Amino acid sequence: QLEHCCALHTAARGGLSSSSPQDVPAERPRAVFHTSESDPAKHTEQHEARLYNIPLEEVKAVFPHGLPYRFQQQIQTFNEARVMVRRPALELLAYLKGSSFAHPAVRYVIYGERGTGKTMTLCHVVHYCSRQGWLVLHIPDAHLWVKNCRELLQSSYNKDRLDQPLQASLWLKNFKTSNERFLQEIKTQKKYTWGKRESTEEGRPLGEVVEQGLARVRSASDAVGVLLREIKQQSQRGSFRLLVAVDGVNALWGQTSLRKEDKSPVSPEELTLVHNLRKMVRNDWSGGAIVTTLSQTGSLFKPSSAYTPHELLGKEGFDALDPFVPIPVANYSPREFESCYGYYLERKWLQHEKAHTEDGKAELQFLSGSNPRQLDRLAGPL
Amino acid sequence: RIMPVRWSRYNPSYLEPEVKKESYQKPLEELSEEEREQMELKAVRPIKAAPPTLSSSVFSDPMISKFTNMMMKSGNKVLARSLMSQTLEAIKRKQLEKYHKAPENEKETIECNPYVIFHQALKNCQPIIGLSNITRGGKTYQVPVPLTDNRKRFLAMKWLITECRENKHRRTMMPEKLSQELLLAFNNEGPVIKKKHVLHKMAEANRAYAHFRWW
Repeated sequence: QLEHCCALHTAARGGLSSSSPQDVPAERPRAVFHTSESDPAKHTEQHEARLYNIPLEEVKAVFPHGLPYRFQQQIQTFNEARVMVRRPALELLAYLKGSSFAHPAVRYVIYGERGTGKTMTLCHVVHYCSRQGWLVLHIPDAHLWVKNCRELLQSSYNKDRLDQPLQASLWLKNFKTSNERFLQEIKTQKKYTWGKRESTEEGRPLGEVVEQGLARVRSASDAVGVLLREIKQQSQRGSFRLLVAVDGVNALWGQTSLRKEDKSPVSPEELTLVHNLRKMVRNDWSGGAIVTTLSQTGSLFKPSSAYTPHELLGKEGFDALDPFVPIPVANYSPREFESCYGYYLERKWLQHEKAHTEDGKAELQFLSGSNPRQLDRLAGPL
Repeated sequence: RIMPVRWSRYNPSYLEPEVKKESYQKPLEELSEEEREQMELKAVRPIKAAPPTLSSSVFSDPMISKFTNMMMKSGNKVLARSLMSQTLEAIKRKQLEKYHKAPENEKETIECNPYVIFHQALKNCQPIIGLSNITRGGKTYQVPVPLTDNRKRFLAMKWLITECRENKHRRTMMPEKLSQELLLAFNNEGPVIKKKHVLHKMAEANRAYAHFRWW
């Protein structure tokens, strides 16, 4: 079937494919490697190695944060967001579709070498869940919470812990854009006092907690903690499904590069945000799923050749996340490479004359080693 | 140990390395007499080591390598090359965005290939005639003088790089500055083209001293 696809690429780009009847061209025939199915729920093995389109308004609503920077630049240049449907994502979607939500939440850990597409797989799953109407708790990069923090306040709730107002308020702002309707529907179940004069009564919508966190930046981390706790307790009732999507989960159990005022190192346990997030990632609640990604690129004090869960999470993290379903993500298969190359050609991203030849394509495949990130970096200047 | 820096210390019997793939893919029958002799010579004589700048990649371009070498500071070729590739990508992105927003009839006029833009911009920046200092009777005169191709290319590249390094805001990144300058030079606008025109005018003004040149 591989030769069949290759022949179609080079010969006829008229979108004629016998294997997918629903790709009948509407106005203008798109090539074989595109698919018009923009709902991730309907993606099957037929759609493997094809690119599907996400409308730009949906991108702004579902992904205020969380997409890799290079991909955001690509969306801006090409004026469209095309994500490739790959096997690890299809596997994850199948597991999510078949899981029963009366049982405790299953943890999925997406791991792989650098630049193989872990974050994009996570974004695919997040898109599916938001289309299905789940409440999506998407933390774009947990490493941003354990390094480069300018302001560390001592937490008013617990004397030992440290607050991070800037990161917490930024995350709350993005959370608000992605999950507007849930913030009106879910009500608090306890009274929370934020200071001498501010408090949130029982039964108020969660939107008020978020507003409180955004208005009073000093208590933003506590607002995040309250939000996570409420959502966790209420998802067990079954009125909504919860997806906890954490990118770079190995940051929660490693070391931080932050220091206290007396120059002693801060352990991740002492940060309120990390402490609350660890509670979310435990599987003592039901009614949803936890999908996480390991990441070496942002990690602290880990060698660059480490990519397996055991190396990146360490003993503490592995024991905390155990048992989990590991999902390996590999480099592009030959079919996926053809698909990506054809897409770049179609959008006129590969401008060099030699890039259109067979020699150029073979050279790109060899130099990038079929690694998605390397291919993107190589195709940039060409 | 003495390392050869500018002039090669190879024995004259050493031959240059052949990097192009096409020359090795030709079957024996198609070769002419000289090429057969050349092949037999290569089997016997030793061959020089290939310099690191020589590449068999289909995407390599000698002008781009020369420009990267001129941008390089203290031997940091990795940084210079990454800056060059980021510049080409920046040019491509700007042109593609313009292309997608333009109406149908203007789409053919917009050039999106960063290599074409680079070569055309360099060609537009090359001066035709230069000035050289000649001393006669104690006074130094600026005499208009023809330039060789290499000198023209060198001057164009040097002007572009100095313009980007000196006359821009301190915090702008090199790829951004360079891509802006290259696009302006491609359209025959910008400070580098102005500098070329100023040089031409000076040469025109000093026409009277042209007979001072003796070569």
